[in-house]
Amino acid sequence: MKRIILTLIFSSFIFANDQIPAPPQKHPILLKNGIIHTVSNGVINGSILFDKGKITHVGEYISPPAGAEVIDLEGKHVYPGFIAAVSGIGLVEINAVDVTNDHSERGDFNPNVRANVAYNPDSEIIPTTRSNGVLIANVAPSSGLVSGQSSIMMMDGWTWEDATFAHPSGLHVNWPGMGIQSGGRFRMPADKQKKRRQEALKGLDDMIKEGRAYTRLRQTQSRKAEDYHHEDLRLESLIPYVQGKRPIYVHANEVRQIEAAVHWANRHEVKIIIVGGKDAWRTTDLLRINKVPVIYEGVTALPNRRFEDYDQAYKGPALLHEAGVQFCIASSGSAGGAYRVRNLPNQAAMAAAYGLPKDAALRSITLSAAEVIGIADRAGSLESGKDATLFISTGDPLEIRTNVLQAYIQGRKIDMNDHHKSLYHKYQEKYRQLGILEE
Amino acid sequence: MKTKMILFLWTISVLTAQVGPAKELHRNPPRAWALTNAMVHAAPGKTIENGTVVLRDGMIRAVGANVKIPKQATILDMDGKHIYAGFIESWLDVKTVKKDTSLQANWNSNMRAYLSGADLFHPKEKSLNELRSLGFTTAHIAPKGGIFQGTSGLVQLGSSPKILTNNVAQVIEYTARGWGSVEYPTSLLGAIAFIRQGFLDAGWYSKSQHILEKYPDGNEPIQFDRSLVILAKAKNNKQPFIFRTGNELYIDRSSNIADEFDLNLWIKGNGYEYRRIEEMPASFMIIPMDFPAKPDVADPHNALQYSTEQLKHWDIAPDNAAKLADAGFRFALTSAGLKNRSDFRKNLSRAVTRGLDEAAALAALTTNPAKEMGQTKRLGKVAPGFIANMVVTDGNYFDGKSKVKSVWIDGNEYEVSPDPLVDVEGNWTLKEGGHSWILSIKSGGGSLNADEKKLILANFKLDQDRISFSVNADTLLQKGVTRFQGTIIDGKVSGQVAYANGSTGLWSAQFDEAPEKKEKKSKKEKASDLALVFPEGAYGLDGDVPNPKTILINDATIWTSGPKDILKEWDILFQDGKVKKIAKNISIPRGNALVIDGKDKHVTPGLIDAHSHMAGESINEGFQNVTAEVRMRDVIEPNDVAMYRALAGGLTTINLLHGSANPIGGQNVVMKLRWGSFSNDLIFKHAPQGIKFALGENVKRKRSYGRYPETRMGVEQVIRDAFTAARDYKKAWDTYNKDVKLQRSAIPPRRDLELDALVEIMEGKRLVHSHSYRQDEILMLTRIAEDFGFTMATFQHVLEGYKVAERLAEHGAGASTFSDWWAYKYEVVDAIPYNGTLMTNAGVTVSFNSDSDELARRMNLEAAKAVKYGGLDEAEALKFVTINPAKQLKIDKHVGSLEVGKDADFVIWSGHPLSTYSICEQTWLDGKQYFSLENDKYLRERDGKVRNDLIQKILKAPNNGGKKMKAKGRRGNRFHSCDAFESYTFEGEE
Repeated sequence: MKRIILTLIFSSFIFANDQIPAPPQKHPILLKNGIIHTVSNGVINGSILFDKGKITHVGEYISPPAGAEVIDLEGKHVYPGFIAAVSGIGLVEINAVDVTNDHSERGDFNPNVRANVAYNPDSEIIPTTRSNGVLIANVAPSSGLVSGQSSIMMMDGWTWEDATFAHPSGLHVNWPGMGIQSGGRFRMPADKQKKRRQEALKGLDDMIKEGRAYTRLRQTQSRKAEDYHHEDLRLESLIPYVQGKRPIYVHANEVRQIEAAVHWANRHEVKIIIVGGKDAWRTTDLLRINKVPVIYEGVTALPNRRFEDYDQAYKGPALLHEAGVQFCIASSGSAGGAYRVRNLPNQAAMAAAYGLPKDAALRSITLSAAEVIGIADRAGSLESGKDATLFISTGDPLEIRTNVLQAYIQGRKIDMNDHHKSLYHKYQEKYRQLGILEE
Repeated sequence: MKTKMILFLWTISVLTAQVGPAKELHRNPPRAWALTNAMVHAAPGKTIENGTVVLRDGMIRAVGANVKIPKQATILDMDGKHIYAGFIESWLDVKTVKKDTSLQANWNSNMRAYLSGADLFHPKEKSLNELRSLGFTTAHIAPKGGIFQGTSGLVQLGSSPKILTNNVAQVIEYTARGWGSVEYPTSLLGAIAFIRQGFLDAGWYSKSQHILEKYPDGNEPIQFDRSLVILAKAKNNKQPFIFRTGNELYIDRSSNIADEFDLNLWIKGNGYEYRRIEEMPASFMIIPMDFPAKPDVADPHNALQYSTEQLKHWDIAPDNAAKLADAGFRFALTSAGLKNRSDFRKNLSRAVTRGLDEAAALAALTTNPAKEMGQTKRLGKVAPGFIANMVVTDGNYFDGKSKVKSVWIDGNEYEVSPDPLVDVEGNWTLKEGGHSWILSIKSGGGSLNADEKKLILANFKLDQDRISFSVNADTLLQKGVTRFQGTIIDGKVSGQVAYANGSTGLWSAQFDEAPEKKEKKSKKEKASDLALVFPEGAYGLDGDVPNPKTILINDATIWTSGPKDILKEWDILFQDGKVKKIAKNISIPRGNALVIDGKDKHVTPGLIDAHSHMAGESINEGFQNVTAEVRMRDVIEPNDVAMYRALAGGLTTINLLHGSANPIGGQNVVMKLRWGSFSNDLIFKHAPQGIKFALGENVKRKRSYGRYPETRMGVEQVIRDAFTAARDYKKAWDTYNKDVKLQRSAIPPRRDLELDALVEIMEGKRLVHSHSYRQDEILMLTRIAEDFGFTMATFQHVLEGYKVAERLAEHGAGASTFSDWWAYKYEVVDAIPYNGTLMTNAGVTVSFNSDSDELARRMNLEAAKAVKYGGLDEAEALKFVTINPAKQLKIDKHVGSLEVGKDADFVIWSGHPLSTYSICEQTWLDGKQYFSLENDKYLRERDGKVRNDLIQKILKAPNNGGKKMKAKGRRGNRFHSCDAFESYTFEGEE
């Protein structure tokens, strides 16, 4: 039996309440009469069908299977959920109130800490973020020299375990500054800065060396006493990274940092991803030859230097694209940037305004992001077999004026209300009561 | 070879008349000299060849080619020497005491006008020698410490320095110890306000003292203040006030203060005067010969850390003095500020080689400072009646290779580099025991040569006129080491030789020839050929901006932000910097206008940002909870590249606000982004005055030094208290102004810049813009305003404005909010992006602001968020960044919409202005084009070439010493926002 439900998209707005995580997809859902932006396979005027959390069919005409919920999109658009390739979301609630933050563990060397265990699924920031189509985020810790391991999280779930899409996704390293800072407050003297940098660089070298030695030890099956070794949580966590099985995310913006990181990775034969990458356009040959991808964080950042072009940051992605460097666009992954990740699509659009082809811009926060963080087999485009993590919008979601109407994460229909909409409706009611707004 | 007469100078005891008694017997040796056969540089441009200078008793008595030499004079033959008037070191710092513990001390330790620099001058002999070795005989001593630093004086640099005058100028510096210091002021903002209040206080104090003397009855005595006395006197006597300046902007600021208080302005310059030479005040300047060291650009990545204007400064700095001289400025030169003072002559000689006129340079060391410092008849010339201060050199002083031989101070000679008693270098014919040798002496060694033999001299020693050396050779009479010793008299040596076996003999030598001096040919330096741009550095303008009389845009979509709403395919005409006509079709005679094809383009008014901190060098004076006296207009930073970047995003007008450190902050300034203009020309002249208030977390934050308030309750009381005080203040003035008797016999109320500003608020003459977040505090401030009879102009941020929108509307305040910021601090947990829409619907005039140099570049997209969140009409949304902020700043008569008669401030967009895909193509202000993609392309190419050429030049240039420049490539990225407590949060690099 065909059930056709014309969903009242905004119905949930009427009730301002906490958002309830969605139950698993119970029946097939067919979205028809839509404009389907597959990202991997162009734009299709037609339908998309998903069941049990997976996309089963994308095509011009799909006949609804038995028991399917059919939604007529009436020309609305469907996109794969946006992916924040790096973010602090879920670890940060109110940046200025430190007890609400869990992104920065004490100390410089925390390879073992894992983001997902501290991810707060009830963070008020999460619903406001998925309201703009950002449905997956690579959540990363952010302090010290080695911050910890990131987890790829879905923007819905009762617990952090429900919300975890993949863990670990990588190890995060903040590359030390390679220059000598002067000016500003609380600056260390130059020689002290140099010493600190040398210590940090040596620390990174030692980390890999120790990790290697520890890995060899753990691989020996010997029962001899001299081969016995106490376990070490930090070194244990490094095993997949020193083996080159998982990527190390090196946060580096300045050209000297980027170059140093690439040479470090080559020397130690580890896999890295550059995060930040403001200056990446200055060293594209090195990045391309060494196949180092870039998560470009600062499209809407100021140019790095006084004399750089006013649109230097805007056009950074276009320059990487033209140079053939693998990249994706992210909003700032800093703790302070957690709430702004909802503006991720605007970052991609800004890059498009300044030279990046529009389809590459859309790809840069969907499939390209999925490729860089290693989840392209399950997310990033609308293809059968992939997760039904997608949303319906009124138009091009890279345009600010566009609204996301409904999101699905692994086929689960997401509550689109959020703290902001709740307050909006609450205070509309106030002005109705005062007679300022019409009933 | 020369022999020099030996002079004995009793420099310690033989001095001019002193008041003290003689310690043993009176000493009265003749103190008269005649320096003859010299090249006398009597005055700049006036040279006497073969001249004679007669000195007696510390004064110059006669100068000329033919002068009578008094009998008592000792004659010194100065053949080959140059004589200059003693040079004046126009700037020498002395550090002063920090704390004035006197009962007459000012409330603030930065007020030290009572100090005298000359009194505090206790130099070490070493530093005197250093100054004298450069030819300085007199120094202008400036006290350093605090803001009003004291009086400078002139001191003779003899072994016992002598004060010529201790009353030259009052020294002022913009001292601010930064955030976290324990005394007001902490910022440039506060320092300037302190200076202005200081002059007012001095005037009030002197008037009050006068009245107290006349009418001791009935007037409460006021605390003595020795600094204010001195300050008032200096001002009334038209004594110079010299401001220490760090760059061209500080000179401008000093000039503004001097204009306001009618001061006799002097400037202690900085080396950056060339950048805005046409804007520099025509005051006497003291200019350092301080050139930066070669930037380290060998590593291309390191080179990126230098901004273009720094690289240019390296190239142009040595031409600064020449540029000032060419422009007719009165200036003196100083060695102050050099990393090595001894580089002064090298730098001066470089400046002269590169084009500084020699006479101008000499005047800058002699007659200019002498004249300005009131010593025209005593210092600066070699002329009868002048103090016997002279410099003797062995060549042209301005040729870096010449040597200063000695200086004369008060008629006493101080040797600098005396000729050696004997000069032995060269070839001698040596005779010994019937042998004849050529003795060749060179730099402390030499050889003995005959035929093919060459013996190297060992143990060579020259002690005054006694010479000794040895040679190890069996070719002399005997095997072993033979030793020579002898005495030199008039080019002849005679002495004894001791042979290896112990026997002795005589030897003699006759001087034959001096060694040939090889002139090192160095490449002659040339003045920098770089063109100056405004502001200096990348993207500076190198000419007037395009300013066509008439501009016509055809067939564009015009977003008027006015009653005409959006007009599709219409024409708009601008003339003489104003909107002239908007119509469906406008035709004008061909060739009479710049015609822009507007097809597919969108035209909007220039965007306006009601909350900005760009182009402000200092943002917060946060030490006190009320700082209504400080003004953003005093700290405009016209070199801030943020303005250019914002223009490239269509922004034309900003409200430069004080920070949010205190409940009542400083006065804002509304500016038009006339990139390239100097500070005062950026100011939006028609904009009413305003002030920044702040509420909530930022102002109540607990501070290390402890400051009231720490709660929102206290914030309310601070503001209420300030207005109560202002009301009393106004009443006191009103009473005083009405009563003639009172004006004659009573101490007048003290002018207080802080209270003045608050009174202006109550009188409706000053708009209040208050940083605020929560609904409680917003409501609270509207109530205070109503209690004191004024209306709030805007609430800034006002993120909970949507909760009390009806109150805002009722009160009549505007709301200048963020589009979608939230969650960054506790007081913004309920901030929602629907704020703008909700407030608009309740009748509030709403704008979106940036509070960020970054966001200021894309305010059109901020406006787009009002469409997204709450579904506001697109034209209404654009008004959030055009006419609405204009209304809030009360400049809507002039800007904010495209209506006939308004300023021609407009932007041409590549497409729909609310589309993320559109870009700004042209930005016009007052009918002038300040940004266009085309010109930007030109600037990129120009500046790329300048950078590259400069780096090449630097790589090839010799190392001339100097201070290392701290690389400021990243300067300009200052993360000002309301929470920025200091101006320089940019990252620089070395």
